[in-house]
Amino acid sequence: MQGWVALALLLGLGVKRSLGQNGVGELPVPRGLIPIPDLRAQTLSLTWQSESSLFDLEIFHTELMNVVLNETVAVKADPVTGLHSWTWHSPLPLECTSHSVRIRARNQQSFSQWSPLETIPGSDIPERSESNMFPQDKVVPVGSNMSFCCIVKEKQDFKDIVYRGQEMSATRLSRRTYAITVTNQPPSGNTGTNVVCSSQLLILTGAVVFVGYPPGDEGLVCETRDLASAECSWKKGRDTHLRIKHSRTNYTLNGRECLEGKTRCTSKVWEENWTLVARNPLGTIQLTDSARLADRVHLLAPANVTAVEVKAWSATLQWSWSVAAYKKLEMVCQLQLFAHELSSTRNYSGPGLTSVMLENLWPDVDYTVTVRCGSKHGFWKWGDESTPFRIHTKMDRPDAPDVWVWMDSSNTGRVFWKPLSVRKSHGALNGYEVSQSSVEEDRWTPVSLPPGNFSYPIILNNSTDITVAVAARNPAGLSQPSTVTTPAYRADSQLSVSELLGTNGSFDLSWEPNANASGGYVVEWVPTGCSGLCTIDWKKVPKSDSSFTVKSDSLVAGVRYTVSVYALSTNAPMLLQRWKGYSQEMIPSQSVRELSANQTGSVVLLSWKAPEMKCQRGFIRGYTVYLANAAHLDLIANISDPEVQLYRVKGLSLNLYKFVVKAYTSAGEDAGSTVDIKMEMDTADMLFVGILVPLGTMFCCLILISICCYKKRDWVKKAFYPEIPGPKVPGDWSSPQGPLDVKPPPHSLVHIVDSPEWDFTKEGLFPVPEEEEESENDNIEVDTDSDEPALLRYYNQVVGDGSHSNHISDSSGSSTASVGSTQTEITYAGIQSPTSSQGACGGGGYRPQMQSVTGPAELQNEFEADFQDDGLNTGYKPQCSWQLDSPEAENFSGSLGSPTSVTSSQFLIPESSEEKPQPSNTWFHNFLSGKS
Amino acid sequence: MEGAADPDTPVLERTATDRAAALARLLHRECTRLLELYRRRQSHFWVRLKRWRSTQCIIDIECICACDSEVRLVNYRWFVRTWEHADHGALTKERENFLSHHVPGDERLVTLALCPEALTTAEQVGHVRSALRRCMELLECLITREVEEMGEELEGEYESLRKTVKDRLSDLVHSTAALLENGEGGCPPSPPLQCTEGQDEVEGSGSFAAKLWNYRVLLELIHWSDSASQTLHLFHSEKQGQQQQQLL
Repeated sequence: MQGWVALALLLGLGVKRSLGQNGVGELPVPRGLIPIPDLRAQTLSLTWQSESSLFDLEIFHTELMNVVLNETVAVKADPVTGLHSWTWHSPLPLECTSHSVRIRARNQQSFSQWSPLETIPGSDIPERSESNMFPQDKVVPVGSNMSFCCIVKEKQDFKDIVYRGQEMSATRLSRRTYAITVTNQPPSGNTGTNVVCSSQLLILTGAVVFVGYPPGDEGLVCETRDLASAECSWKKGRDTHLRIKHSRTNYTLNGRECLEGKTRCTSKVWEENWTLVARNPLGTIQLTDSARLADRVHLLAPANVTAVEVKAWSATLQWSWSVAAYKKLEMVCQLQLFAHELSSTRNYSGPGLTSVMLENLWPDVDYTVTVRCGSKHGFWKWGDESTPFRIHTKMDRPDAPDVWVWMDSSNTGRVFWKPLSVRKSHGALNGYEVSQSSVEEDRWTPVSLPPGNFSYPIILNNSTDITVAVAARNPAGLSQPSTVTTPAYRADSQLSVSELLGTNGSFDLSWEPNANASGGYVVEWVPTGCSGLCTIDWKKVPKSDSSFTVKSDSLVAGVRYTVSVYALSTNAPMLLQRWKGYSQEMIPSQSVRELSANQTGSVVLLSWKAPEMKCQRGFIRGYTVYLANAAHLDLIANISDPEVQLYRVKGLSLNLYKFVVKAYTSAGEDAGSTVDIKMEMDTADMLFVGILVPLGTMFCCLILISICCYKKRDWVKKAFYPEIPGPKVPGDWSSPQGPLDVKPPPHSLVHIVDSPEWDFTKEGLFPVPEEEEESENDNIEVDTDSDEPALLRYYNQVVGDGSHSNHISDSSGSSTASVGSTQTEITYAGIQSPTSSQGACGGGGYRPQMQSVTGPAELQNEFEADFQDDGLNTGYKPQCSWQLDSPEAENFSGSLGSPTSVTSSQFLIPESSEEKPQPSNTWFHNFLSGKS
Repeated sequence: MEGAADPDTPVLERTATDRAAALARLLHRECTRLLELYRRRQSHFWVRLKRWRSTQCIIDIECICACDSEVRLVNYRWFVRTWEHADHGALTKERENFLSHHVPGDERLVTLALCPEALTTAEQVGHVRSALRRCMELLECLITREVEEMGEELEGEYESLRKTVKDRLSDLVHSTAALLENGEGGCPPSPPLQCTEGQDEVEGSGSFAAKLWNYRVLLELIHWSDSASQTLHLFHSEKQGQQQQQLL
């Protein structure tokens, strides 16, 4: 028995151990698992019964048996019902597909069997064949994540799911269900964000999600309009982006729903503490306010505003209140009057104000009045403004006009008065009345003028002061007259007129106070040089002031003004000081006038006149003189004295000149006037240049040539007058002074041959050379190597007379050219040796005796050739022939020394000398000889 | 001369039919415009692409949707691709652009199933008038729903034209009634319209279904105003022919 018991225990332990090792069967399976879906909240509530408190839960998407939850949870049983309950929040709408749930109990490592699967059918079951999308019309906050599923209609394909226009990546949950997840959703538009599920051909289904914000209202303020009820208002905060009915924000004020609108709510009674709750599907916000009624009075607008008594200077305004409780309220009212240049704001206070008297109005002015009021004690804010009310005040007599008189001569002047402003006219003016009286005539002679007149001429018949009175008239009556006595006329020449320069376009004036200025001063400014109807302006200055600034708005730049200060007293105004000046200087608008240029020798005198005074537009500070070149002006003078209006331009040569003269002010130069002048030579210059200068030049040249020749006399002598050895005469030639018996010297035999054909026989003469001479000629030939020309040839038409001249065969070009000329022409044919000269010159040349070194036969041939040549050319004229023919042969001794080697007889013995032989010691001879 | 000779009935009839036809044409244009506004009634929005920001290139989604289907698809995908690069800050509002994808089924909201066969143009006018009357009910329902849903706050071009179309449609219904002698071509009265949200959408409720329904209502308006325009034009032509025959 004991053995069976032990075996049974052992078996029992073994079974228990084995059961404990695989964990199955020991814990009871949870019972009564019931899944309860909340589709809107996307939750699945599970309830079951079990003794355990630890459970394993598994949830599947039924069709594909995808596990969506596998979790171990500790859930205690409800002590009352004994049920375990647990809620699962599904990321997907539960309608998307069927969900299956199972549960088992767990205890450490042991667990029970799984409970049977409990399934919640989705909308994709075959019984529901249409397309669908979940969730529908959900309201979610901005930035949230969310999943949508599309259930495709049976036998339809699936293409995509588009969220907010963007194709999303879809996941398949079942045969017909596809899901997407969107993250960080942006705010929706007015009608929500569309999620569209499409097939290849068409839209299958869709959903709208509303993405927004919870309420963001702020600033609750409550006030009373009728001293009993409350009106609370607040500011709308951030846009919730939720506009459709079921997602809009709802408001409650102290628990009562607000129906008025989104930012205003009323309560029939004042509660001092106010709580506003703003709620939408995404959240709730609570605003509070606390105040006493008296501190939150916001009055309504006064009604029926009207003016009961309107006068020229005042009006009474009335209104009424639509709330009876206002009658006892201590209030302050503000009246705003709008009129052109006359706007003002006035405050009035009192209990239940319903009328005020407006004073200090201006006559004949249109006012627009508005009224608003507030509680005086515990002032909260101004109440609503009444509708504008228009008041037109009545007219009144005008103020006295401001009058001044301006004298333009000693007995004529003009009285001026200024137009009256709205504040002074008190109504549209009908005109003016001007009266004048003199000392002699104690009576006023009035003149009526239309309203557009602001001046009237006056004439002093007997140069006595007269008094002028001016009064303005409007429909309400005539103003008080303004009187002025004519001041004594003072021309500028009678005064020391100062120069006045403006400062920033204004004149700053100051003067010495005058004891007689009991009525103050008058500053008068008028354009200088004005005549006729001038623009006269003036300003009356109190006697306490001795300075005044003439504002730029009454001055014109570039206009010269005469500014005068008068002292006012009971008598005529007395001129104290006068200036002339420009408020702002400008460059002259006119160039200098009458610019002229006059030549005096090499000097040009420019003269001009200043621009006209009206055109000066500034004080002329001087003139600038330019010489105009092609492209620019060269400044040649800057005349800083404006009184100097001429300028001398010196040192000009004969040419065309253009001068530009400009006047300048402190603002700059004018455009300039231009004058042209062509410099011409005068008579004296012409005489000097035309006659004396060439003569002087020629004289100088002669002097220079003379000096040069004197300095080079040796050369000249050698070149033109070489030393000729004197003849060696045996015996004393000089002793007898009687007639010269010409007979051939013994050492020089001349054969005279008579020939009937040759009458002239000059060529028949030829010297018979001597041996000594030949040697001398040889010496001369040696000399030809020197620099000095050994031989010069002279050609002169005089040498051969017309009958003998035949130039055709003349080989010398120069000689040919010389023949026809009437002038003596000297040609330096170069250095010739006597031997070579024959060949060079051909026939016709001079053959001095010493050159004949050839034999007699040659001589004869040569002679014949020469003869033949001479038939054509100028022949040789031996000295003896003309010495013999010459009647003055006896005076020829002076010339005898030369012509042995010079061919030109003319040079040595000019034509005149043939008739009037000069002594051998002429100045030229002496000059060439170096004799003094 | 003809007007002076016999200015009474023929001229008046001619004027009435002509006016009704013109009214129908005008209504058709306004209904078309109303549908266009409905698609983008939530005001314009623009997408500025980041990568084109320097050139300030602005893409209007409406332009994409207005293209033909193939180009639209290409543009749409391009738009989706570039969406990630877009300046989302500018995109705070949306419109019912998806409706351009929507192709309603063949079944119409307004049918003439209950009407007897129309043998004459006058009877066709009567049928069209019945359809317009039903359209009127649908439009009133649409307005009621939208006002209830969105409140009275929105007063844009869409809301203004919606009211104009309603008034014009009412005018046309009365005008066509005046054209018909003895109520010819009348159809049996339809059952009263239950103006509940999404009633005509199968398995549909909620805002999305309402949008689709509104869209269909607007399509019905376009269809029947066009039909009325053509029928009245034909009716007017026939009347003119008859008058000319009478004059001859």
